[in-house]
Order: sequence, then structure tokens, then C-alpha cells
Amino acid sequence: MLSVAICGAGGLGTRHAENFRAIPETQVTLVYDVVEDAAAALAEKVGARVATEEGELFGDDVDVLVVTTPTPLHSYYTLKAAEAEKHVLCEKPMCRTLEQGEAMLEAVLDSGITFMVGHVLRWFPQYARANALITAGEIGEVGVARTSRINTMPAGSGNWFQDYALSGGCTLDMTIHDFDWLLWTFGPAERVYSVGAQRQMPPLDYGLTTIRFESGAIAHAEGSWADTGAFRTSFDVAGSDGLLRHDSTQMSTLTIQRRAGEEGRAAVQVPASPAAKSPYMMEDEHFVQCIITGEEPTVTVDEALDAVDLALAALRSNEAGGEVVELS
Amino acid sequence: MPTRLSIMSFAHLHADFYATAIGALADVELAGVWDDNAQRGEEAAAKYGTQFFATPEELFAPENEIRGTIVTSANIDHKRNVLAACEAGVDILCEKPISTNVEDARAMIDACEQAGVQLMISFPCRYTPAFSQLLEAVRNDELGEIVAIKGTNRGQNPRGWFNDPSLSGGGSVIDHTVHVVDLMRVLLGQEVVKVFAEIDTVFDPDLPCDDAGILSMNFEGGCVATLDASWSRPDNYPIWGDVTMELVGTKGNASVDLFVEHVDAWRAADSTFLWESYGHDANAGLIADFARCVETGAPVPITGYDGLKAMEVALGAYRAADLNDPVGLPLP
Repeated sequence: MLSVAICGAGGLGTRHAENFRAIPETQVTLVYDVVEDAAAALAEKVGARVATEEGELFGDDVDVLVVTTPTPLHSYYTLKAAEAEKHVLCEKPMCRTLEQGEAMLEAVLDSGITFMVGHVLRWFPQYARANALITAGEIGEVGVARTSRINTMPAGSGNWFQDYALSGGCTLDMTIHDFDWLLWTFGPAERVYSVGAQRQMPPLDYGLTTIRFESGAIAHAEGSWADTGAFRTSFDVAGSDGLLRHDSTQMSTLTIQRRAGEEGRAAVQVPASPAAKSPYMMEDEHFVQCIITGEEPTVTVDEALDAVDLALAALRSNEAGGEVVELS
Repeated sequence: MPTRLSIMSFAHLHADFYATAIGALADVELAGVWDDNAQRGEEAAAKYGTQFFATPEELFAPENEIRGTIVTSANIDHKRNVLAACEAGVDILCEKPISTNVEDARAMIDACEQAGVQLMISFPCRYTPAFSQLLEAVRNDELGEIVAIKGTNRGQNPRGWFNDPSLSGGGSVIDHTVHVVDLMRVLLGQEVVKVFAEIDTVFDPDLPCDDAGILSMNFEGGCVATLDASWSRPDNYPIWGDVTMELVGTKGNASVDLFVEHVDAWRAADSTFLWESYGHDANAGLIADFARCVETGAPVPITGYDGLKAMEVALGAYRAADLNDPVGLPLP
């Protein structure tokens, strides 16, 4: 039985904690958060103990650390965990700066721990299917791949997502899902050009990034924290022999409408595509199997760092008011 | 007496749309057709119940009383045909893009000005109800400051002379940049000051022209935009393509998908799936407005300058892609 400690009791910390509680080979034993109430609530939910100080995360009775803190702290906890030889599941993006990422890479390789970044899109069935179809050559040579990931401005603890210095905005925090999927599907990126808009009040963040891959494929990734509606995603990948398209707003296998007024509940629509197993659960199970077998996770450390490299290059291009940023 | 219009060349598919639109208007008449391909011109004249003329001079002979003409030749011939109409003192609706280079566009605009004839450029997307309502919302400040626009004008490869740069001036980028750039210019009331583009030939590697392009643009007021100007829709796509825009504003967002209105249609006979469009016919509005300006002398709402500014973005995109560096506009 692997003992799991959760570092960061926000939305994703909660999701992973619930998963590790359900996976037979793991149990959640510790929850840590600087916001003590959040830690206590999650600990109670998953039957774990609250770590009153950070050092407990690296104690002898912990095997796995789940790092679900704000982005700039990922490297700090990963380095500490590697030193204490704890396996690490780290949320995306892997790091806020390349220097942090390179230190993490070195620490992971030196320690031999199992380390994986939560690029969960690879377990979303529509993205996995598209990747498989494209890499099998089903649509020939890809010319233009378009992705969209559209959300409202996320809140997060202390509104940290709105702080560019912490989150890197939607491009580093959210569009990185698509960057990872594009790199996974098309291979190395050659250069990037990005334009975007940021406003403090009312807060909005929006980025349109064009990527040229060494394969010749051109990608356009839209990331929005400027929407007012429900979270949605889409892709449209055009190749010499065909076209693949998916739009999350068109794919609800179940919609439940509740009538207003009854028991004081608001009228809400809950569209969903119920899956036998959530992508997050598949991701966490894969990570656990990698720990047990010693195999390298399907999201490698290098790949996670490449996705950050691409996102930071997009941010640099945008901050320069539009310039071509070459990737090494 | 109905307003007598003519069509110069049926090289462009849109000539058929315009001829049909003229036929549907009660007070407008297709009074003649000229085409440097005589067979094509004669067939078109027969189809639309009008007369074929072997030369522009014969077409514009005084007894024909032609007041306006529509130029739907290959792009490279726009200048020659516009100048011929200009000489005859006939108002002109010229298919987009206005030309294939800035010099020709300026020559066309200057010649029309000097001759006192009107030069209108064919941007029918302006005549869709969705765009009109979007424009009204923007002018009423419902979106606040528009900070970003994501546009697409994706289509199937139109083949033929569109794929020959010596006739078209390029490939998908010159073909598909100008419509959406024109809409963006109208919405923002601003010009593009910087453009970058990734352009390539990818869907059909044997083409002598580009068939994929993504443009990134900065407008003078700070708004940023991208535009997908690719022939990326496969030949069995259920419709020719799309024109879409997503606008992000400080007060709200908006999206338009101008040609989305359709009925899904599965045809068993040839195993095809099609979009049976039922949306507004933008060409009808365009032609009616051109005929109105010809008849009344009112200034055309889409000028040669509009055509030049939209084309300039496409030309800048080609240059930026060649240089692998963004290019400032206007071009020197």
C-alpha cells in the first residue's frame, strides 16, 4: 500500500485525493495546505490526517506526494520530495520558469523517483483518439491544427490565477494542455508567435498562439479566460487526406434540467458526458502503475518541460507585442 | 427603365451568383456579358438571357446604355477590365481581392477617381444580417473595447486559376484574407499596423501556390487578431467553407458564424452528406446596393481603398512569412 500526501487542498488536490482514496494500491494519509480550513475539510472528506507542518510531507510514512499548489511552488515541493525519495505527481504546468524546471528535471533523474506532470488531456478519450488517428496517418500530412480552450477567469485560492507572475495567465496555466497534446501529436515545435489581451478590471486574459512544428504542421491554439459561459473545448485538425473535428458543446450524452423553485434550488442545466472512468482517474492509475512497475510515465519529464518551454515562448512573443520566438 | 448592368468575365464562380442576384431584382437588368473566353461568355449570356459581346468596347457601346459592370475575371485581369470600364464611364463592382499588388490597386483607384466613376469592391459578408447586428452592437458599445478577434475563412480549394499565382497573385492567403480583414476593419474602424503569418503548401503538396495560412495582426488601437485563411476543408466537406469571428471585449464577447444556417442532408443516391444552406443570400444585398449606387449616384459603401487596405494585409502576410518576421503596414 502506497501512502499518499496531498500538498494543496484546492480543486485538483481534492480530485486527486478522491482518486487515490479509491485506487486499491494507494491510500491518502496526509493533507497539507497553508489554508488550514481547506486542509481540514479535505482531510475529513478522504479520511486523512492534516499535516500541521510542511515537514510531515517528507516523513518516513509518506511514499507519494501530490503537488497541487500554485504553479511557482511546484519546483520547491518537487525538489524536497526528490531529496526525500518520494514519488511525485505534479499538476500542470510543471513550473513557472525554465530554471525551476531544469532543477526539477535534474532532481528527478538523480533521485530515480517516479515523477509525472498531470497533462490529463492525454487521457481524455477524444484527444487520445485524435492523437491515435493522426499518428496512424489517417488524415495524411497535417496542415493546420486548431485548438480552443475557453473558460471564465478561474478564482483559485487568493485569486492567484489572476496574478500573471504566479500563474502565467491562461497561456501557461490552461493552453498548456493543448500545447502538450500538440507536441505529443506533432513532435518538436520550431517557432511560436502569440498575440493576446490582458485586462485587470474586469479581469480577462486571452491568447492566440500560432506554432510551427518541425514536421511542417501549423497549429493555432486559442486560450480564453474571458468567457462568460460554461467551460468548452474544441479541435479541428486538417490534413492532406482528411479532417478531424471535436466540439465539446456538441457532445453531451446526458443533460439534466431541473425545474426552478423546488426546494429552493436554482434552475440549472448540468450537461455531462458520463464516462465509466474519468480521465483524471485513468491518469492517476497510470501514475500508480508506473510507481509499482518502475516504468517511465507516458508524460515524461522532458515532455512536461517542453510544454512549459513552448508556453513561456508564447508569453514572450506576446509580451514583445508580437515577435517570432524560435525554440531550440 | 431598369438599371442596366453587365458582367465582365465568368472566370470567377461568383459571376454566376451575381447574375442570379441581378435576375431576382425587379428594377435591375443584366444587359450584356463580355468574356475573353468567348465560349464561356456565350454560354453565360444564353443561360442568363442576355447578349454576349466580343470586346469591352462593344459591350460598352452607347446604344447598350450600360450603367454599371461587375468584374469577375481572374485577379490579374481586374486592372485591365476596371480600366476598360472606367474609360467607358461605367461604375464598377470589382471582385475581391482588388488586385494582386499595391501599384495596380492604386492605379485602378486613381483612374476611377479621375474618370468620375465609382469603384466598389465585392465584400458580400457585410450584407449578412448577423454582421449588421454585430456591427450595431459594437457601435452601441455593448462589447466595450474590443481587445481581440479570432477569425476564420476556411474553405475547399477552388482549383482552376485560383491555384495559378500568375493569375491569382498567390494561393489561399490572398483568396481568403480579405473578406474577414474587411469585416474587422469595419468593426474596429481601424487599420492593421503589423502582420505575421505562417504560410505553406500542405494539403496538396503539388500545388504551385500556398494552401494554408494563419495570420496574426495588430490593429492601430491595440486590438489583436488572428485569421485562418486556409483551403483546409476537404473535398467531401458538407459546405464550401466558413466565415467566423469570435470577439473579446471588455464588456462582453460575441461570435458570428455567417454561413452556419443549414439543414443536415444525407443523400442516399451518391452517399453524400451536405449542409443545405438556408441562410440569408449576402450576394443579393451586395448587388442590390451596387445597383442603388449606380442608379442614384450615392457613394458606394465599399470603396477601392477598402479593397486596397484588405489586400495589403494579405501581401504583408506573404512578406512576413518569407522573412519569418512580422511586417509593418502600410507597405512602403
